[in-house]
Amino acid sequence: MSDAGMTPMPPSLREYSRRASIVGVGETDYHKDYQAERKRAEGYEPPTVDDLCKLAFDRAMADAGLKPGDIDALAMHYTFGGPDPDEMASYLGITPEKAWVNGHIFAGPLPNIVGRIMSGEVKTVAMIFGIGNRSAGRQFGGNTYGAGMAGPSSYYYFHPWGWSSQAAHWAMMAQRYFAKFGKREEDLGHVPMVVRQHASTNDNAIMQKPFTIDEYMASRYIVRPLHLYDICLVNDGAVCLIVTAADRARDMVKVPVDVAGWSESYITQDKFKVMVDERLRPQIQSAGNEALAMAGLSLDDIGQFEGYDVASIHLVNQLEGFGFTPDGTGIDFCIDGQMTLGGRIPTNIAGGNMSDNYMQGWGQVPEIVRQLRGEAGSRQIAGLNASLSAMTQTDCVHPVIYTRGD
Amino acid sequence: MAEKRPPRAMGPGNEEFWQGCARGELLIQKCGNCGHRPWPVVQTCEQCGSDKLAFEKVSGNGKLASWCTFERPYYGDLMPVPYDTILVELDEGPWFISNPSGFANTDAELGMPVKVTFLDCEDSHGEFRLPVFERA
Repeated sequence: MSDAGMTPMPPSLREYSRRASIVGVGETDYHKDYQAERKRAEGYEPPTVDDLCKLAFDRAMADAGLKPGDIDALAMHYTFGGPDPDEMASYLGITPEKAWVNGHIFAGPLPNIVGRIMSGEVKTVAMIFGIGNRSAGRQFGGNTYGAGMAGPSSYYYFHPWGWSSQAAHWAMMAQRYFAKFGKREEDLGHVPMVVRQHASTNDNAIMQKPFTIDEYMASRYIVRPLHLYDICLVNDGAVCLIVTAADRARDMVKVPVDVAGWSESYITQDKFKVMVDERLRPQIQSAGNEALAMAGLSLDDIGQFEGYDVASIHLVNQLEGFGFTPDGTGIDFCIDGQMTLGGRIPTNIAGGNMSDNYMQGWGQVPEIVRQLRGEAGSRQIAGLNASLSAMTQTDCVHPVIYTRGD
Repeated sequence: MAEKRPPRAMGPGNEEFWQGCARGELLIQKCGNCGHRPWPVVQTCEQCGSDKLAFEKVSGNGKLASWCTFERPYYGDLMPVPYDTILVELDEGPWFISNPSGFANTDAELGMPVKVTFLDCEDSHGEFRLPVFERA
């Protein structure tokens, strides 16, 4: 039905809201690692997935103030493979009762772990995502996948027409959006430009140097009408989240960040029409409303949005789809300063997938935790109580709502 | 002279589609249960799950729904960049990825009427005719 690869999650029930909390986060050195990989100085060895995962884990444990013996479960997440979970546990210096592979991209794993905590199957879980796609030379298009592997709704099908890349989905969306709403490339360019300005406050972001609209227009195309700056990064890294029951979380050193709501929705038919014309609006709306109802919140309560900006236009789709701004107004909303500090909804405030890091949805969570705790420094959103992340692909959406747990 | 292209997806259903193209017919599956017309080729209906799917010739007429131009060479010399791709909303419903014929994306307009034509091509499976679209 879908190539989304969701980890099964419990239903979006009100009584499952705020039952578990994130108590620690760790990330790798995105900026430093990216620079080193680009430079490839003599003797350069890319970090292994093992080492990336360990660094993120060590940082998350230090952040949570926990000892190795406090972790009773290790849930590993790899998109392109990684070490056996038991071997990983021993490399991390922990002896969990349970260690397993729980999925890959950030499509369901957090609600899945909340469900396991609620059922008593696990208590305090280290969730780790690790990926080495850049050093492996992965590109998201062309003959990476043979036509023989073609699924009915994937881009690999369209080789004979030369239509094969992830970016081409967003390009088709953008072109139709321009024609429908009278926008131009130089209008859309404000979206990555603002996200880059956000990243300029984040010293771990891969790309921190602001650019102008002239520089945007002068940048090369990837798939016309989209420029280099419209498309997300590809990098190696790892993210670790330490999650425990909400009542236990209250005794820990940091302000707990509760998992308050979630949902999922898929395109099940007519993928190109729904994706390019409707821009997943029906899916984003239904999943968004369900997640909000589960959390007992309205959209006005959400003070931070971490959207899945695999492409600039797709961030516009999500801002409009969730209802932060009406259909066709997302670019103007951005130009008007509404997605930055002091605006209606600070969005991808640390630089998102286009400038901070591309951890396939996992990279959105650490900034949400920092913001809800009040640890975000110069980019702190004042008085923040609730944040929304959305893993939004070409054919599915998975929103998660987080609330401050004190 | 057949144009070289990256390989088609083959397998159940696809052969029938390409045989139709060889005869100059654009064939799209239609569900015998719910009437839905899925594209690309599926084994069961994406709307109702039925396997009562049969190929039917469609008019080949449609409207231009979107377009984009590849500027990064994903296929090396096989598809020299830049090259244009289009998305056509067929009159019968499905949205169809293709290439423009006789016009360029710089002349494209949303909703522009187009009709199918077939381009002689060759891939690793052999010679075939590729459905592309020209101004109607």
